Amino acid sequence: MALVRKKADFVGDTVQLEAVGLRYADGPEIFSDVSFAIPQSSFHFLTGPSGAGKTSLLSLMYLAKRPSRGKLMLFGDDVTDAKRNRLPAIRRRLGVVFQDFRLLEHMTAFDNVALPLRIAKVSEAVVERNVSELLKWVGLEEQMQARPSVLSGGQQQRIAIARAVVHRPKLILADEPTGNVDDAIAVRLMQLVVELHKLGSSVIIATHNEHLVARFPFPRLHLNGGKVTALPPMHASEIGTAAS
Amino acid sequence: MIALRSELPLKGDASGRFVVWLVMVLVFMASIAVTTNAYIGALLGHWGQSVTGTLTIQIPVMLDAKDPTSTAATEKVLDVLHRHPAVESAAAVPREKVTELLKPWFGPGEAVADLPLPVLIDVRMSTSEPSAISAVSNSVQTAAPGAVIDDHRAWLNRVIGLAEGLGAIALTMMALVTGALALTIVFATRASLAEFAQVIDVLHVVGAKDGYIAGQFARRAALQSLAGGLAGLVIYAPTLGIIAWLASRIEDGILPDVRFPASLWVTLAVLPVAAGAIATITANVTVRRALSAKV
Ligand SMILES: Nc1ncnc2c1ncn2[C@@H]1O[C@H](COP(=O)(O)OP(=O)(O)O)[C@@H](O)[C@H]1O
Ligand SMILES: [Mg+2]
Repeated sequence: MALVRKKADFVGDTVQLEAVGLRYADGPEIFSDVSFAIPQSSFHFLTGPSGAGKTSLLSLMYLAKRPSRGKLMLFGDDVTDAKRNRLPAIRRRLGVVFQDFRLLEHMTAFDNVALPLRIAKVSEAVVERNVSELLKWVGLEEQMQARPSVLSGGQQQRIAIARAVVHRPKLILADEPTGNVDDAIAVRLMQLVVELHKLGSSVIIATHNEHLVARFPFPRLHLNGGKVTALPPMHASEIGTAAS
Repeated sequence: MIALRSELPLKGDASGRFVVWLVMVLVFMASIAVTTNAYIGALLGHWGQSVTGTLTIQIPVMLDAKDPTSTAATEKVLDVLHRHPAVESAAAVPREKVTELLKPWFGPGEAVADLPLPVLIDVRMSTSEPSAISAVSNSVQTAAPGAVIDDHRAWLNRVIGLAEGLGAIALTMMALVTGALALTIVFATRASLAEFAQVIDVLHVVGAKDGYIAGQFARRAALQSLAGGLAGLVIYAPTLGIIAWLASRIEDGILPDVRFPASLWVTLAVLPVAAGAIATITANVTVRRALSAKV
């Protein structure tokens, strides 16, 4: 269906997959023939049970893996077989929140958040201003000079999110960003991401937390049995039913 | 300041200290090789200078020891030599000096004095052209058919052969040291790459280029090698002093006093820099190759 549209129609899409399959080494395909498009400034949940392939699908989009087959486009650019030296420029338009945060332990909270800006050679004055502002905004004003290891799980998560958004990425990819925190903090973190979405970023959040999904009126990409289904926003009454 | 920022905690890791120690030893060994090479070069120069352009002519003793022909032949040869345009000077070695030279073999006393001895003539040529040397040889042969002419070339060739052999060993040592340094950097860099794989992944995700990451490893390897290299020179300095002192105690004549050329000191000073450069290039290539295998 979507495949017959003319190429020009896709220019506005942030992410676009066409018949994508992914396998690890010689194993079977984790998912096959996955096709969908994420328009600019949209917000999607990526749902599905544990082991369905959510993390794998996200890692295709943040260019840590290549599709075993099919075609992947980011920001209108075909990256399926893109040369390695083209990837950094594309990655700098992404913001990624890992399930396990992946904060750099030898650096302060401030330096962790500053990382994407410094890699992009943003001037130190701008780094100072933007990072401080963002850390205040996520309520970590007091912890700027602390190492991640001395901070709580929730605080680490906020650093991870701050690092993912400090450079105003066009696409935010978050893997279970609320997995390690209780519901109250989860909702606050979600509100933070929603704010960024309102500023124009596209957002994809992978989660298997139905309560969280049901709380926000965003469409779903549901991954199960190696197939992706587009679903409308979840209604609270659906919690615990087969579709989620 | 930004350029020197390091996102990889490479400072205190174990492989780093190992590199410093190893480069110290390697630069120490390289210093020995370089000095050996320079010393051989200087010796060759010294010996070459002292024998090229000289001939030794031996007028043998005739069957009858008291036969005056020997003297007559000597006079004749000296006359020919003095008139030859390619000869600068020629003089018979005094009999006392020849006797002196033979004393260690025959012992002191009158025995030597009574021996029939050949006459030796030292000739200094004004040129070391082979054609001039053979012209002189021919003239001498005509004047005294039994004369033996030695232009020291055979001896010099053997000395040169020995020196070249030693020089080749020194060069081989340099090549081995360079190889060892490169291998050390390759393995230390690979170990760090494995150790910091997670950090490197994060750097990639936030858009770092391979060259940026390779640069951090290369800078670290350069600093470690430079530090190790300087340490190697520092421990080499007293070693060289001791060797020079030991050499100075050897009697004159066996080892001539030669001066090291200024280029030796320059080469020694360059060794740590060269180690740093080799380390930089090796680390850079190692990291880029490893990373290019990633997505
Ligand atoms: N590095 C890997 N090597 C081999 N198999 C993997 C790897 N990562 C994930 N898998 C497999 O891929 C499937 C999907 O995993 P994942 O993407 O982590 O799912 P989810 O994030 O939805 O829990 C699982 O069966 C998992 O075992
Ligand atoms: Mg997962």
